[in-house]
Amino acid sequence: MIEALSAMGSVFTDPYLLGLIFATTVLGVIIGVLPGLGATTGAALLLPFTLTMEPVQAIAVLSTIYVSATFAGSITAILINTPGTSAAAATTFDGYPLAQKGEAGRALGIAVVSSTVGGVFSVIVLCIAAPLLARVAYEFRPPEYFALTIFGLSMLASISAGGAVKNLIGGIFGVWLSTIGAERVTAIERFMFGNYDLYEGLSFVPVFIGLFAISELLVQSKMVNKIVETVALKAVKLPTKEDYKRIWKTILRSCGIGTFIGVLPAEGATVASMIGYSEAKRWSKNKEEFGKGSVEGIAGAEAANNAATGGAMVPTMVLGIPGSGTTAIILVGLMVHGLRPGAYLFTEQVEKVYQIFGSMLLANLMFMAMGLYAARLFARVSLVPISILWPIVFALSVIGAYALSQSLIDVWIALIFGVIGFFARRHGFAVAPIAVGLILGEMVETNLQHSLKMYDGQWWMIFAQPLAAFFLILAFLGLCGPYLYSLIIRHKD
Amino acid sequence: MKKKLYIIPLFLTLFSFVVIYLSLQLETSPEMIVGDSMQARSFPIFLMVINLMLVGILSLQFYKTYPKEVELEKFPTWSSMLLFLIFYILVKVSGDMFVAIPIVMFLMGLTWGQKKVWISLVNAIATPLSVFLLFDYVLQVRFPRGWLTNIYYG
Repeated sequence: MIEALSAMGSVFTDPYLLGLIFATTVLGVIIGVLPGLGATTGAALLLPFTLTMEPVQAIAVLSTIYVSATFAGSITAILINTPGTSAAAATTFDGYPLAQKGEAGRALGIAVVSSTVGGVFSVIVLCIAAPLLARVAYEFRPPEYFALTIFGLSMLASISAGGAVKNLIGGIFGVWLSTIGAERVTAIERFMFGNYDLYEGLSFVPVFIGLFAISELLVQSKMVNKIVETVALKAVKLPTKEDYKRIWKTILRSCGIGTFIGVLPAEGATVASMIGYSEAKRWSKNKEEFGKGSVEGIAGAEAANNAATGGAMVPTMVLGIPGSGTTAIILVGLMVHGLRPGAYLFTEQVEKVYQIFGSMLLANLMFMAMGLYAARLFARVSLVPISILWPIVFALSVIGAYALSQSLIDVWIALIFGVIGFFARRHGFAVAPIAVGLILGEMVETNLQHSLKMYDGQWWMIFAQPLAAFFLILAFLGLCGPYLYSLIIRHKD
Repeated sequence: MKKKLYIIPLFLTLFSFVVIYLSLQLETSPEMIVGDSMQARSFPIFLMVINLMLVGILSLQFYKTYPKEVELEKFPTWSSMLLFLIFYILVKVSGDMFVAIPIVMFLMGLTWGQKKVWISLVNAIATPLSVFLLFDYVLQVRFPRGWLTNIYYG
């Protein structure tokens, strides 16, 4: 415990790391306020820049981008009614109406405080829950890991964008992508079409850059002729005593909701903020104010979306199962820097783990300061013309895709997946399930193979393992539960 | 069913059958290597069978409710894809990413509505140059040699 606390504390006394986190927080807030960029695209673009950094510094950069961009989405949500990130969509419901009443500073102040409390709360939970979960994960063998990854894939059905079936199809496509290359046991080449650059399989980084950054570039083209109306902002105000009295219960509730939803595999800040908002409305004594500038609405959404960031890091670091698109990129960052996600990370690399947690805590405190004192400045960044911004994203994408393996094939892969991602999104398929499927694909197949070997090909023995059966039942309920429930209700009626 | 409705399920079904066909063409491993586990072809086939079931459900959903299409500004979208193709050709011809990137960035800026040509030009030169120098000096990444990089690397 003391070792962990001292590792966390070392982040606050390391000038290089402090400077790095400060710079990344500024960058993260800028990325968050730029409509279309967001935490996932930002992390995908920055991943290649972390290649030569130490593992802790690299993951600190990625996780700082995650927390600061998630918060910063609220700035444009309040001032120009355009969420910088999808996680801030619920903030527009009340943030913009409050800003239109001339209280933009108050709305931003509430968003900043709620986001900080949510973020800090989730990091504390992360520090406590992750080692405990890691102890449980020690007991996991291939059948349990197989069942867990199936549970993770089943949770894709409830990702906010797209629909359940479309998300599952996206997940299956992602898993199939993981089969490209030489099969691990038999070395049989699958779907390579004679291209030996694909022997080791598709590299995650170019695929992610394509899916998140380049496809976003193509999607953003619809914004070419959009005219943005801004609301004037004089200064950001801290919530008053009266505000605190009204929102503290909402913030605490949303902290719990956000962290819990973040922990669930494949769920993320967007779902958390929507549920945080709707629960704030459900429990409020002033329901009529919602949609017209309710401070509880802003607090509910903002505390939940930032609380989800720490929660999402739990399955990512302990089980190697990403909680969202951004954590999928952080997971790739861990792997690239030689940190093997899983239970052993918490015994073999405990100092590094707590330094990463410490940097997340620091990032949460830094964005609070920036939100309070520089929100007005950052809001102006969102007005950068897209004809300047997106060509820059293009350049960063292709150079970033090249950088990891220094191979041009990765650049072509990024462009191809950019186009695939664009067409998928155009037809209502989200790209995050494809990314999560790609990461989990190898785990599913390898653990299934090992499980079959363990039980001499008797696949049904997987169901006889209590923990594996538990996860598979959860997966079944996650997939079929809503339909069964509606059937029961219909039958009763 | 409207014309566009069946295009997505049809495409996904076709994709699944192509993958199944390709999987069936894969070699099989001797029993002593695979043991009680599965052949390399089994897992992709298993995935595509699930995919076909999901596509069936999706078709039913499409039949009941017409999905909304994402609206697009057609010109910048298609022109951007065309620029990707131009980027590929330029890299293949010049062998140099840093010839292709500024040209594509400049054209992209113009097609995305930048009226001041010099702004697009400055953006197209300054951004790749600064990123190149950052990657070269700080990250020590070597880029493929071509017309411009040959001059720089010597």
